[in-house]
Amino acid sequence: MTRRRVRYPETFLALALLFLTATPAFPAGFSIFAQGAKPSGMGLAFTAVADDPSAIFYNPAGLGWQKHFSAQAGGSVLTKTEGDFEGANPFPGTGFGVEGQHETSHLLPTFYAVVPLTSNINFGLGIFAPYGLGFRWDDAEQFSGRYIAQNAVIRSADVNPVVSLQLAPSFAIAVGADYRLSKVTLERNRFAINPFTQSVVDVAHIKLDSEIQDNDGWGWNAGFLWKPVGVISLGAAYRSSIEIDYEGEGKFTQRLTGNAAFDAAVAAGLPQGRQDVAVTIEFPASANFGAAINLPADFLLSLEADWTEWSSFDELFIDFENTAIPDLDRLTNWDDSWAYRAGLEKKWGSFAVRAGYYFDESPQPIRDVGPILADADRNAYTLGFGYNTERWGVDISDIYIDFEQRDTRGEESTDQFFGRYSEAANLVAISFRLSF
Amino acid sequence: MKRTFRAAASAGALTALLVSPLFSQTAFRKYVALGDSLTAAVEGNCLVERHQRRSYPKLVADALGIGGFEQPFISERAVSGPVGVCLGAVVAGGTITVGAVSQQGAPTNAALARPYDNLGIPGANAADLVDLRVANPSGNTANRFAAAILRNFPGGPFEGRNTVEEANLLNPDLVTVWAGPNDVLGAALAGAAIDQVTLTPAAVFEAKYSQALSGLRATGRTLIALNVPDVTSLAFVRTIPPVVVDPATRQPVIVGGQPVPLLGPRTTPTCSTAPCPIPSSTLVTLGASALLGQGIGIPTALGGTGLPLPDGSFTPPATLSPGVLLYADEVALMQQRTTEINARIASVASANGATVLDIHALFDGIVAHGYEAGGGIVITTSFLTGGLFSADGFHASNIGYAIVAKEVVQHLNEVSGTDFDLPDLAHTLFEPDMPVISASGVLDPAAGPFGYSMRMWKDLVSTAAPSDVELVFPSPVKRVEKVFPR
Repeated sequence: MTRRRVRYPETFLALALLFLTATPAFPAGFSIFAQGAKPSGMGLAFTAVADDPSAIFYNPAGLGWQKHFSAQAGGSVLTKTEGDFEGANPFPGTGFGVEGQHETSHLLPTFYAVVPLTSNINFGLGIFAPYGLGFRWDDAEQFSGRYIAQNAVIRSADVNPVVSLQLAPSFAIAVGADYRLSKVTLERNRFAINPFTQSVVDVAHIKLDSEIQDNDGWGWNAGFLWKPVGVISLGAAYRSSIEIDYEGEGKFTQRLTGNAAFDAAVAAGLPQGRQDVAVTIEFPASANFGAAINLPADFLLSLEADWTEWSSFDELFIDFENTAIPDLDRLTNWDDSWAYRAGLEKKWGSFAVRAGYYFDESPQPIRDVGPILADADRNAYTLGFGYNTERWGVDISDIYIDFEQRDTRGEESTDQFFGRYSEAANLVAISFRLSF
Repeated sequence: MKRTFRAAASAGALTALLVSPLFSQTAFRKYVALGDSLTAAVEGNCLVERHQRRSYPKLVADALGIGGFEQPFISERAVSGPVGVCLGAVVAGGTITVGAVSQQGAPTNAALARPYDNLGIPGANAADLVDLRVANPSGNTANRFAAAILRNFPGGPFEGRNTVEEANLLNPDLVTVWAGPNDVLGAALAGAAIDQVTLTPAAVFEAKYSQALSGLRATGRTLIALNVPDVTSLAFVRTIPPVVVDPATRQPVIVGGQPVPLLGPRTTPTCSTAPCPIPSSTLVTLGASALLGQGIGIPTALGGTGLPLPDGSFTPPATLSPGVLLYADEVALMQQRTTEINARIASVASANGATVLDIHALFDGIVAHGYEAGGGIVITTSFLTGGLFSADGFHASNIGYAIVAKEVVQHLNEVSGTDFDLPDLAHTLFEPDMPVISASGVLDPAAGPFGYSMRMWKDLVSTAAPSDVELVFPSPVKRVEKVFPR
């Protein structure tokens, strides 16, 4: 389990922390597909368009047609506007009423740079956060699912250098390396039966936190873009899976009950000091397939189908080095999922208006839905505006995400935690581009 | 206009009458529960309203939306005497142990003009369902409780009626019967697996059980039979290890790298003269606590008396000497008898149109891996800290009874095609179960390292002992101070 430690410059760590993003469940699973303001305006159907620097994320082959040095910085503000859970019998029962997730906003920064090396070879560099999870419950010390999770966080930041090669005026390919830095956190309470009251009481808080260093992995991405006729383009992109072996520590903090004898007994059995913990997460591979057509009157229609290999996320195993502490072994058994996207753009010279829609299928089976994550199928509606010249551009967009409810009542539940989850979210994105 | 409205209303009512049976689930009108202390909701070896309000039949009635479920409530008061004490966790010298926290009071619902809906009678075995026609307030446990619950004593409102007859007076459409635990439990409590004394012969059980279920069978009535859990897995027999423990830590004393077996009366292949070290497969009941406190069962080299812990025995014609050890052959006999009785329950239930809720399998599962009550909470069989058992080590806790209630409703939904909401387990899990009176707990100083006094043990053995035997308990010996090598 001992691994060589790599020392990173402080500035790198500071930059990485900025990009390490934890979002409320946004696209299906814990992937984040909104990595640019322009794609976000047109339903994230951008694989066959890929005509701005965010192509590094969506389809790096799109760099083949970008002939200027460009830098694009931007960000999205994702706001969870609803995150409610209404409990049902037998647990947690109706007595807890409606409980809420922390409705907060998260910043998702992105940075892209495109550097033409020759007339047909471009270099690109992207920094973004394609995966993130933030499932944090309000009133965590009273939340009825607090022995499963009070706060589940996955942060990640990718550094993605790519090289594109335009093989013909109508065809380009690209390949890149994908370095991912990640961090996970899980907080929960520990319960015990108070022998004096024969009831459940909280006796400790457990925080499992991975370190920022060494928790990283490498993958790759590739894509092609083909424009067989002037008005049609076809594109496909692939991003490989990345497995990260996290190492971190578990901290056990006692919650006093007020009964000295019981508290002493609890303290005697509580792990003391740093407890080494390890967990492995395999981030899934994904493949995107898109087609776009330029219509009369400066309309652009883009369609896309995206596949994510979520079946690789079949188990969550948290391994404590101290054998006296029980490991957490949870079978997740997720399914591969598809998303279907459509986007439309209308241009008036440099000004563009965009709209889009997508349906994102949840990979999470109902059995796994619980306080750690309650993912759901969702329909999203997008709107965007842009003003782009050859030298600079600005894009702004909004995505309203309508989640379908997940209801575990009467279902098989890993957590034996029954009720109905209701969620909604909104994302506002903006990006600025300079080209030379 | 008025006439039109009336016509429309009549048509609507008629339509509702015709349609509702097709589209609404079965609703139960009246529910009656028969059984023993587990049905009555005994906890900590006493029956008080605090627990009766959380009995499994009451939780089932609530889940089914059946109102007016009447129970024979008994008040609770401060500890003032040796009879009917309620056990709970107390602190002794910084250690959590068991002591008296309150005491049974008097019936508070005795004027009810009809039989109670909860007809669980502590101490009752299967035969008592049909044979206990005349309660005797000064008789054994079942007799005494029957006086308050069946009220069938001479001059009582239901004189001469047995449990089944009282249940039928209520004309229920749902009946649960949980009989049989007391037909094997006496062996565990008395540390003596003796056929026809502490274990009911399967044929005898079958005859009485069949009589009860056939008496309860009725057209339109749903009948559910709960079977018998493995009493050799109760906390009462699985808490004290078969080796000498340090009373301060309750951890085994290690000598020469090995734990030291307690002493028992039986010889073994490696010990021809008793007392002998007990085999590791031997179960030691909580009744041994006070004896260990006197140094009984502990070798003299470790500061004990060198005397053996008693194994239960029976001397004809009617003397039962309870013990605190269950050797492997006794455990096997108890398990075998439980299997036989459960087979009889299954066949009799089938013959009488009843379905069986397999409590035996449920309990085996809890013993093996706990009960996932929900939200990451796992209930286990550990004494005092597991959540399933009350402080006597064999009756369930509020949580245990809530689990039974949930399983009953779930079973009912499965066999009846209904969709009743399951009981709210969280309410029970998080609700402190404390005596309603102010009590800090009374600790018996002679209760030994596991806090279980002779008084407690005697009360428990008396609970399930046959009414026609004389109980002769071990005599106390001079208390000794033990010094354990570290």
